[in-house]
Amino acid sequence: MSKPNSPTRRGFLDFLIAACSAITTAALAIPGVLYLWPAAKGGGSQKVEVEGAKSMAIGQSKTVQVGSLAVIVVKQRSGFCAFSAVCTHLGCLVKWDTGKKQFLCPCHAAAFDEKGKVVSGPPPAPLVEVSVKEVGDKIFVSTA
Amino acid sequence: MSVIKKIQGFFDSRFDTDTVAHFVDKQAHKRLPPHTGWFHVFGSLSLLLFISQTITGILLLIYYRPTPDEAHKSIQYITGEVQFGWLYRQIHAWGATLMIVGVLLHMIRTFFSGAYKKPRELTWVTGVVLFVVTITFGFTGYLLPWNQIAFWATTVGTESANKVPVIGSWLQYFLRGGEAVTGETLSRFFVVHVIILPWILTGMIGIHLVLMRVNNLATFEAVGEEEPLEPKHGIPFFPVHVAKEGAVAILLLAVLVTLSVVSPWEIGEPADALSTPAHIKPEWYFLPSYQLLKYFEGPYGAIIGIIICSLPFLLLLLWPFLDRGKERRPRKRPIAVAFGLFALLAAVFLGVLGHYSETNITLFGKAYHIDLLGKPHLIVPADSTDTPNTEALSH
Ligand code: HEM
Ligand code: FES
Repeated sequence: MSKPNSPTRRGFLDFLIAACSAITTAALAIPGVLYLWPAAKGGGSQKVEVEGAKSMAIGQSKTVQVGSLAVIVVKQRSGFCAFSAVCTHLGCLVKWDTGKKQFLCPCHAAAFDEKGKVVSGPPPAPLVEVSVKEVGDKIFVSTA
Repeated sequence: MSVIKKIQGFFDSRFDTDTVAHFVDKQAHKRLPPHTGWFHVFGSLSLLLFISQTITGILLLIYYRPTPDEAHKSIQYITGEVQFGWLYRQIHAWGATLMIVGVLLHMIRTFFSGAYKKPRELTWVTGVVLFVVTITFGFTGYLLPWNQIAFWATTVGTESANKVPVIGSWLQYFLRGGEAVTGETLSRFFVVHVIILPWILTGMIGIHLVLMRVNNLATFEAVGEEEPLEPKHGIPFFPVHVAKEGAVAILLLAVLVTLSVVSPWEIGEPADALSTPAHIKPEWYFLPSYQLLKYFEGPYGAIIGIIICSLPFLLLLLWPFLDRGKERRPRKRPIAVAFGLFALLAAVFLGVLGHYSETNITLFGKAYHIDLLGKPHLIVPADSTDTPNTEALSH
């Protein structure tokens, strides 16, 4: 035990055991963490037809699901426009108020104008615009 | 008689039963400080509620299905078809609220009696973890019936995670199991609610109770000046304190069943991912944070708000290390007591504002609209212009 090189050998073995344990722990933990990370579903851009869009009157709106996003489509005098219905404040879905020509959020009384800009209330940013395409007599909305 | 002897003999010949018997006996009859009384039952009240939650939770699990298609229907099945299903669901839902009340009362008691001071700092710290776990139980359990209020309260709640600096959007994605609240979120919350939290809570309660026993209950003697407790002055845990706990248990059972019958929790409409209902508010124990967050808006406001809302929890966790005074008697530590009272009042005040925000109330015969930030606006009858119209027209 009093040999000068024995502490070094001991220290080396301790180090080896600690290093192997750390590597083994990491090898077990990393797949576990990745397993918990949500797997992307669908992904990429999504395109959805707005059912019955042609029969909508001017000023009417419709909320459709595009992937995991709720999209609100409004038929205005100038044509169709679409926004993510997700309020930029805390994620409630806005509704279109035909009379006021505004998107209203039921959660904290926010209002957005017909271009999605914040008129009043707490949201920090405008509604996110979603692209609308007319193909023949069908209307499609798509998200990037 | 001889059968019992035989069984005893069986164990005696296999391990030292005397040591076990001695330990159990010592713990059961342990002497508690002479002032141990009714204020000291809130801890056991919380434990009792946890046991009740575990039993009723396991019963609910037999019929509950954690998928978006089935969750709401399975709760309807439990309350409508299963014999006494309504009772167990109600006791579980009310038990959740009462458990938070129990933990809060327990914390208030230990705070004002200075019991968190040396050598019991770690007992307090494990207690704060228990409090946070209990609240998380409430948050995850709330989503499980998959109704409109739960779905949207969870959407708003997890959206707040987005405001956490740097990792916010990842955190939110991780909590939700995707971009939005979906069946993936339900699965995650379910696993956390019925497996992960119960075991964490069980382990933490174990540590908390061992620490409590090792240090015995605190007296009002100042830190470092405690006299050893003379057995003849102490109160035996069994039967004296246990009797008080028994009385509390019976009272609790009565309160749980009464609330379940008189004021049952509704099942609500099934979740609809395409329509947010009006008046989404969190459960009462989240109202103070919910209201406080509203005062911090804008690009930096949100981050500041999150930091300010986590501050109380950090303060709770570190409190025994911040307050190093030796006195325990409330009268001898006016600053800590004043601070505690102020924090309590502030929480109640914010909670009340949160509860009444965006509603109309009548006070002394006059109607007011309470706005988002809790400011009252007098409602002038007829052609009033200053009342915001919060009703969204349906399209
Ligand atoms: C320890 C074991 C527990 C298990 C196995 C369990 C299991 C469950 C299950 C299956 C549900 C869905 C049924 C329902 O919604 O009524 C549920 C709901 C719920 N749980 Fe738990 N739970 C446990 C503990 C707790 C604790 C400690 C709390 C809170 C302090 C809690 C709070 C809630 C809440 C608020 C609901 C929603 C109640 C409702 O609206 O019906 N649970 N739990
Ligand atoms: S979520 Fe829309 S205003 Fe708060």
